[in-house]
Amino acid sequence: MTSITQERSLSEQFPRLARNGGLDVRELERLRARARRFAEEHVRPRALEIDRRTGEDPGWFDWDLVRAGGEHGMLGLLIPRPAGGGGGLATQAAVAMEELCAACPGIALIFGAHALGISPLLLGGPSQWDGVLAELVASERTGEPLLMACAITEPEAGTDVEDPDLLRRARITSHARRVPGGFRLSGTKRFISNGSVARWITLLMPTDPRRPAETWTCFLLDTRSEGFAVARVEHKMGQRACPAAELTFDEVFVPDEQIVSREGDGAAATTIVLACSRPPVAAIATGIARGAYERVLGWLQEDRAAKGLLERQHVQLALAGMEEEIHLARQLYMDAATELDHRALGGVMSHPGVRALGHVPASVRRRAPVRGWLASDRACDATVALLHRSTSERAVTRSLALSSMAKARGGDVAMRVTGAALELVGLRAGPVRAELEKLWRDAKLTQIYEGTNQLNRLEVYRGLCRSETMSCLPPLRRIHPDADGRARTNAEPRAYLDANASQPASVDGDGGRS
Amino acid sequence: MTATTAAERAEIRTMARELAHRELAPRAAALDAGGPDVFAECWRLLVELGLDRVLLDEQHGGAGLGVPDLLASIEELAVGDGGIAMCVLLSNAALVTLTDEQLADVPAATRWALVPAAPGREVRISDGQLDGRVACALGAHGADGLVIFLDRPQSAPWAIMAGAPGLKLERDTAQMGLRAAGAASIEMAGIKSAVATVAVNGSVTTASVVSALALLRAGTAAIARGIARRAYEMALKYAQVRRQGGVAIIEHDAVSDMLAAMAVRLAFRPEIAVDPAGLAVEEAQALAAKIAATDAAVASTTDAVQVFGGTGYMVETGIEKLMRDAKYCQLFPEPNWVAQNELMRPERAGRAAVRAGFPARSRVPEDRGAPGSSPGLAISETGVPAALRRSWPAR
Repeated sequence: MTSITQERSLSEQFPRLARNGGLDVRELERLRARARRFAEEHVRPRALEIDRRTGEDPGWFDWDLVRAGGEHGMLGLLIPRPAGGGGGLATQAAVAMEELCAACPGIALIFGAHALGISPLLLGGPSQWDGVLAELVASERTGEPLLMACAITEPEAGTDVEDPDLLRRARITSHARRVPGGFRLSGTKRFISNGSVARWITLLMPTDPRRPAETWTCFLLDTRSEGFAVARVEHKMGQRACPAAELTFDEVFVPDEQIVSREGDGAAATTIVLACSRPPVAAIATGIARGAYERVLGWLQEDRAAKGLLERQHVQLALAGMEEEIHLARQLYMDAATELDHRALGGVMSHPGVRALGHVPASVRRRAPVRGWLASDRACDATVALLHRSTSERAVTRSLALSSMAKARGGDVAMRVTGAALELVGLRAGPVRAELEKLWRDAKLTQIYEGTNQLNRLEVYRGLCRSETMSCLPPLRRIHPDADGRARTNAEPRAYLDANASQPASVDGDGGRS
Repeated sequence: MTATTAAERAEIRTMARELAHRELAPRAAALDAGGPDVFAECWRLLVELGLDRVLLDEQHGGAGLGVPDLLASIEELAVGDGGIAMCVLLSNAALVTLTDEQLADVPAATRWALVPAAPGREVRISDGQLDGRVACALGAHGADGLVIFLDRPQSAPWAIMAGAPGLKLERDTAQMGLRAAGAASIEMAGIKSAVATVAVNGSVTTASVVSALALLRAGTAAIARGIARRAYEMALKYAQVRRQGGVAIIEHDAVSDMLAAMAVRLAFRPEIAVDPAGLAVEEAQALAAKIAATDAAVASTTDAVQVFGGTGYMVETGIEKLMRDAKYCQLFPEPNWVAQNELMRPERAGRAAVRAGFPARSRVPEDRGAPGSSPGLAISETGVPAALRRSWPAR
C-alpha cells in the first residue's frame, strides 16, 4: 500500500497548478523531491533524539540540521530570485513543509519560522533585496547559514495581535519611541519561534501604544543590537526542535532604514503575512497527519506485533478515514496557497516593473544612488501603490479566509489522525509508539499558532460567509511623524481603516482592481 | 465488612481531595519529570492514609473499604496527579489478587502493579514457568512486586517480587503520560512465582480475571474523570482572568462554548456499575465507563489547552500534562477501540450461539452469576473480591 501522495504527481493532484502560468510545476515537483530527500536522510533519523535532548534542555539547537537544510534549498524558498533565492511564495513553502513535517514538525518549524521572518520583507519590495535577504543567501552559500524569526505575540496579547479589529483594543505593552534617526524599541515578545537563534528578527510594535492598530509598524532588528536579550527559551509540549523564546527589548535602537515598508503599515502587513503563512501552517498539519498515517501503516504491514490487525474492519475503516482526511486537508491548503500566489499577491511579484528591476544586476542596485532611491519614501509609496494596483482588499480578504479555513481544518485533522494512529497501535507497540506520541504532541500546536483555530474560523465567517472586506492593504497615504517625533494623528488613514472595518465587499470579487 | 455509608464515603473522598490539592497538585510537575524522591514522598503520604490498600481488610493492613470508595479516592487523587492515582489503582488491583498467605509475605508500604498481558502474543506458560515480554507496563518501574495478569485463553495471575531470577525490567523512557506511574518493559525468562506459597498456574477462572480487568477499567475511568475535572478547573479560572479583545476570554463564545462542553462532559457521570450493596463492578459497564470517561477526558484536556492558547502549550502551566495523561488513560489497559470490541464480544458470541441453536444464557460461566444478578468483582466481608478468593487454592 502506498499513499496517494506517492502515486500521483502534483499536476495530477492539482490541475489548477498546471493551468496557472505563473508557477513552474516541474520546478515544484523538484522542490518536493528535494524536501523529501532532506526529510528522509536528515530529519526523520534525528527527530526523536532531538526531541529528547530539547525536552531536557529547551535551549539546545542543532545547527548541523540547519546547514543540511540550507544545502537542500530549504532556507531560501521565499527569498526573491533577484536576491538569489528560490522566488517562491505560499505554494512552494507549503509543499516543502508537508514533506518535512511528515518526518519531524519541530525541525520543519525551524525553516517555517525562518520563512515567516522573511515574509514581511517581501512586502518591502526591491528595497529589501540587497540588504538582509542577500546576506541570508550569502551566509547559506558559505555553509554558515543565518536564521530569521518574526516577533508579533506579546505576554498580554496573543490572539489580539493577529486580527486588525482586536488589535484596536489590545493590551499592547511594547512601544517603539521615535528618536532622531530611528526608533527606540522597548517591551517583551513571547513564544517567538527561532527567537533565540535568529540573527535578524522582523518584529511589530506600535509607535503609539494608545493607537496600536494605526501605528503598528514592522521593524527589522539585528539581534546583536544593544538592549536586546533572550529572556528564556520555553519548555514546550512538542515541536521542540525549534526553540520558542521570550525576547526583551530595552531601548533597542533601530534606524529608519530598518523600518519595513512604512511606519503604520504593520497591521496590513500582518494580515498579508498571515494570509501567506497559514497555507504552509495547514501543510505542516497535513504533513503531521501524513507522517502518523505512514508510520501506523508501516507498523501494521511490517511489525509482528500487529499481525492480523489489517484484517480487522475497524483498522481498515480507520486507515481509510485517515487517508480521506489527509487528502481533503491537502486540497484545502493547496487551494489556499494557489489562491494567494496567483490571485491575491501573484500580480505584485510578477509585475513587469518588479521583474525589470530584477534583471538589473545586483552590483548596480547596490550603488549608492540606486540603493538610496529604492529605500526612499517615494519608493515605499510606489511599492504600496503597486500593491493596490495589482490586487484588492477583497482578494486578500478572501485569500486570508481560505488560508484560515485550510489552517483550522488542517490542525483538526492533525489532531484526529495522530490520535487515531496512536490508538491503533496502543501502548505496547514499541518504537513506533514513541514516534506517534511525538507527532500527537506536535500536532496540538497547529491548532494554536498562527491564530487559534477559533480565530481562524471567525476569519472564514467574515471573509466568506459575510463577504466582508478587511482593511488589509497599507493605505496609499503614509503616516508621518510629528516634529516632536510622535506619530501624527493621521485622520486619513484612520478614517480609511474605520470606514473599511465593517463594510461589505465593495471591490470586484476576482482579485483584480483597476 | 459492610458497605460504607454515604457519609463515610464522602469523608474518604474529602480526605483524598485534600491530599490531592495540598500535596499532589503542587508536586505534579516534579512527578511528571520523574523525580524519585518526590514520588517516594507522595507514596509515603498515600500509605499513611491507607490508600495503597483500600480494598484489603485490616488484618492485612488495609482500609477494609469497597470498590466505590477506591474509585472515589482515585478520582480525587487524579485531580492532583493522574500518574499517582494510577499507581494507587494498580497497587490495589494487584494486591486483591493475592491470597491471605501471599499477603502475609508482602511487606507493608510496598508498591505493586497489576500488569495485564496477552498469552501467546506477549507471554507463554510452559512447565509451570512464565516467559515473554510485556512492553510499557504502567507502574512497573520501581514497583516492589508485579502481578502479571494473563488474559484469555489461559487466564492466570502470576505474582512476582521485584528482583526475582529471570525477571528484567527496563524503564520506558519514552513514556508520554501518567509518568508518575513509571512504565517499564518486562522481560520474563523461566519465571516461577516468587511470592511464597503460591501456586497459580491454571487455578483462576476466567470470570475472576475479567473482573480484575473490570476494576482496572473502572479505575481508569475514575482517573480520567479526575483529570478532566482538573482541566476544567484550570481552564475556567484562566478564562476568567485572561483578557483578549478588551474582555475576559470567557466572554467570547469561542471560549465559553469549549468550557460548556467540558462542563457537560463532567455532568455526565459514567455509571461504573456497582451492585445495590456497593460491592461489585459490572464488566460491561466498566468497559463502557472507561471508553466514555477517557474519550471525554481527552476531549476536555485538549480543549483546556486550547483555552490557554500558546501558554497552555508550555510545560510550566501544567495543562498540557493533563492532555498527555488523559491520552494514556484512553490507551490503558487497552485502546478504546479494543475495549469497544470487548464490549460487544458477549453480544456477538450470544448471537452466534443463538444461530447455532443454543440459548445465549447457557454460555455465561456459573461463577459470574445468573443473568440479572451482579456479576463481576464481588467484595467479600474481608474486603477482598470473593470471586478472586474463591479462585485461589484452598488455604
